[in-house]
Amino acid sequence: MTAATDLRGFAVRPYSPWGIVRELAIVAAGLLLLSLVIKLHWMTNFMIFFILVLSFDLLYGFMGHLSFGHMLYFGAGAYGTALWLVYGGKSPLIALAVGMLAAALLAAGLGRIVMRTHGAPFALINMAFNEIGHFMIQSPLSGVTQGEDGLSCSADNIFGIINLYKDGWAFGFAAVMLLAVFALLRVLTASPYGILVRSIKENEQRVKFLGYNTFRYKWVTFVIASTVAALSGGMFTLVQGFISPRVISPFGNVDIIFAVLIGGAGTLYGALIGGTVFMLIKNFLPVLIPELATLLNMKLPQWEMWLGIVLLVIVFSVRKGIVGAVLAKWRQRPCGSTT
Amino acid sequence: MIDIRHLEVAYGHARVIHDLNLTLSPGEMVFIVGRNGAGKTTLLKTIAGLLKPTQGEIVFEGRPVAGEPPDKLARSGFRFVAQDKKVFSSLSVRSNIELAAHGAGEPVEVAWKKAVEIYPKLAEFRALPAGRLSGGQREILLIGRALVGNPRLLLIDEPTEGLAAIVIEEIFRILKGMRQTVSAIIVEQNLSIVKRLADRIYVMKEGRIIREINDQSGITDSARLENYL
Amino acid sequence: MIQTVIYGFTIGAILYFFSVGLSLTFGTMHIINFAHGMVYALGVYLFITFMEYFGNSFLLSLIVSLAAMLPVAYVVERFVIRRLYGESLDYAIIATYGVLLIGTDFIKLIWGTTPYPVNDPIGLSVPLAGLDLPVYRIIIVISAVLLFLALRLFFKRSIIGQIVIASLEDSDGVRCLGLDVNRYFSIIFVLGSALAVLGGILYAPISTAEPYMGFHILLLAFAVVIVGGMGNINGTFVAAMVLGMVMAITGRFWSQASSAMVFVVMALVIIFRPMESD
Repeated sequence: MTAATDLRGFAVRPYSPWGIVRELAIVAAGLLLLSLVIKLHWMTNFMIFFILVLSFDLLYGFMGHLSFGHMLYFGAGAYGTALWLVYGGKSPLIALAVGMLAAALLAAGLGRIVMRTHGAPFALINMAFNEIGHFMIQSPLSGVTQGEDGLSCSADNIFGIINLYKDGWAFGFAAVMLLAVFALLRVLTASPYGILVRSIKENEQRVKFLGYNTFRYKWVTFVIASTVAALSGGMFTLVQGFISPRVISPFGNVDIIFAVLIGGAGTLYGALIGGTVFMLIKNFLPVLIPELATLLNMKLPQWEMWLGIVLLVIVFSVRKGIVGAVLAKWRQRPCGSTT
Repeated sequence: MIDIRHLEVAYGHARVIHDLNLTLSPGEMVFIVGRNGAGKTTLLKTIAGLLKPTQGEIVFEGRPVAGEPPDKLARSGFRFVAQDKKVFSSLSVRSNIELAAHGAGEPVEVAWKKAVEIYPKLAEFRALPAGRLSGGQREILLIGRALVGNPRLLLIDEPTEGLAAIVIEEIFRILKGMRQTVSAIIVEQNLSIVKRLADRIYVMKEGRIIREINDQSGITDSARLENYL
Repeated sequence: MIQTVIYGFTIGAILYFFSVGLSLTFGTMHIINFAHGMVYALGVYLFITFMEYFGNSFLLSLIVSLAAMLPVAYVVERFVIRRLYGESLDYAIIATYGVLLIGTDFIKLIWGTTPYPVNDPIGLSVPLAGLDLPVYRIIIVISAVLLFLALRLFFKRSIIGQIVIASLEDSDGVRCLGLDVNRYFSIIFVLGSALAVLGGILYAPISTAEPYMGFHILLLAFAVVIVGGMGNINGTFVAAMVLGMVMAITGRFWSQASSAMVFVVMALVIIFRPMESD
């Protein structure tokens, strides 16, 4: 079976170095197009979110583990970076590295517990840890994190030149990081390691019988996904200059799941598309709904309810997501049979 | 009584049963033999409604039933006994029968009496959690469960698999007692049982029926049968 | 200290009421039902509203709220849960979470976001052995024990109970006997939801209602179900009581950490429990 024949393994096609460059170019083009429509500042936030969604796609789309606590690592990265900037040094890149390291260590430790489960317990345990993390930031560690009040931090320019508080630079920085992450994941998922991870998702027993230590592969994937999420969190800190416990709140997980579902899990491109759609909805609905409410002169539920409704709709009808649906249509070309 | 035509069953993209045709007349006991992986279990499960065919028809007493859910088929008189000999292990032996009686709309006492008639030792195990039974006893319990309520069609998957010779003889005795009164399609690899009970034999290989043996000499000819396994 | 122990059992009792439905739904249908939290929260808010309406009559409000929530549970089962049978677990989680979000926002829409305190209907303390025992909390604990016994009886004696137990192990086997398993699952679902509502109402007088209460108890209930074993009816009771005690004792020394400590215990259980196969 070639990787190319697998519907969900769209991004697991074999690649060549030029192929990667081509794909990156497509992604970059998409980003540029989008930024014509959306303010630069928003684009930066979009891209930071994309990185987060990509990291989740690795965990859920490729490895098949749905976590309801991924925000823990986003938050760990965000707070790690912020705390370094406040108590350590001012270099943004080092701060970012610190944030990622903190999350990686956390994921490495928790991963040993968490990767022993899958399915329902996995989702819930991660959610529980997310809650614990949230609580820790708010309460016991509040001496350091300022708890509910939030933490302000500032960083120097990268290499002395790149000032992340300027929209243009921030955009460029986020874009570069996004492309780098995309390239990394694209290569990773198409590599023998990636194929092994996907095989574990399909049939773990069989992979075990082949002699692989599946636990270790799952654990490594978990750490990678968490670290990338932390990268996203750290970038958020750098660009915003202020974070609050909200960055580690379990509620944020819905956003990620929504984005992945809407775009199509396991395709990497789906993460980008889904992320785009979601961010558009999230940024425009809160404006539209109240306007609509005044227009119709009635009290309308907040946009979160619409989110819930859309989630239901997606699960019950558009399950494969946009990319999945497109691929399905594409595979039904007349020449081959669909079996 | 049951007429299967051009049946195709697939797991996802992998086709397991191809263009399969099979018939059964009332009161017949038909056996299906073949190697492991030939698709025998899949066939039984499909007839029982646990799997849906991708193509083909299953006609039962003139009515097309392919794709109907298993509980509806059970109410039409189908009974399926699975290969893994799974009983309701946390329920007592009697409760197992009770559930069957409830499903068949038969009074519990009648069902229990009938089960004990077939296998008197069952009375001893009345209150025992069914999980504590041995493999052979479970199979007998399952057959007892299946016979509750006068089923029209029995589908039994490898009844003697993994059982000791003495238990196999017990099961043979029970199946023999059922002959002519119940119609059955039985998957079996134990040729001694097949030879002594079969009205007809179907041989399956790689998802197809490659041979039908309906003459007595063919059925008792061990060498020929063994060729097919 | 006695107060803390009683409080621990009280929390355990409420957790038990809530978790029974969750555990059963998972054991029978293999669906994690986030919407369970919505049913709980909505039931409590309705109760509070009816209390005002019926002039603080506890019993009447309880009955009416329960009656009002039964159709809600049925609708959730019919239009959401039933469609999720046999589907991948992930979709079940996401869909029911969607229902929870909708419900939470609905509550915010109608009742606003400020928390609602309710009053202890009995408000008595019984002096016993030199201490004041809160009568109401003891009633809650006794109710939970009664429920436990009632459920044990139900599952051991009634035919529906036996069918459910059999289905927990081998639902196909039950179907092949001619029983419409899904119908029984629906019944169990509504029953579980009713118990959650009941638990919520019992708890209301000694707690406050806020729109996100469904989420919070859901998390704790997940811990209960994981520790007690999914679909394990007896385990749920024990786990609920133990975790309730954990919360109470932690709460005495470090009040904000009580929830977090539950998850720590859960994590420890997972680490030290022999790994189960699928």
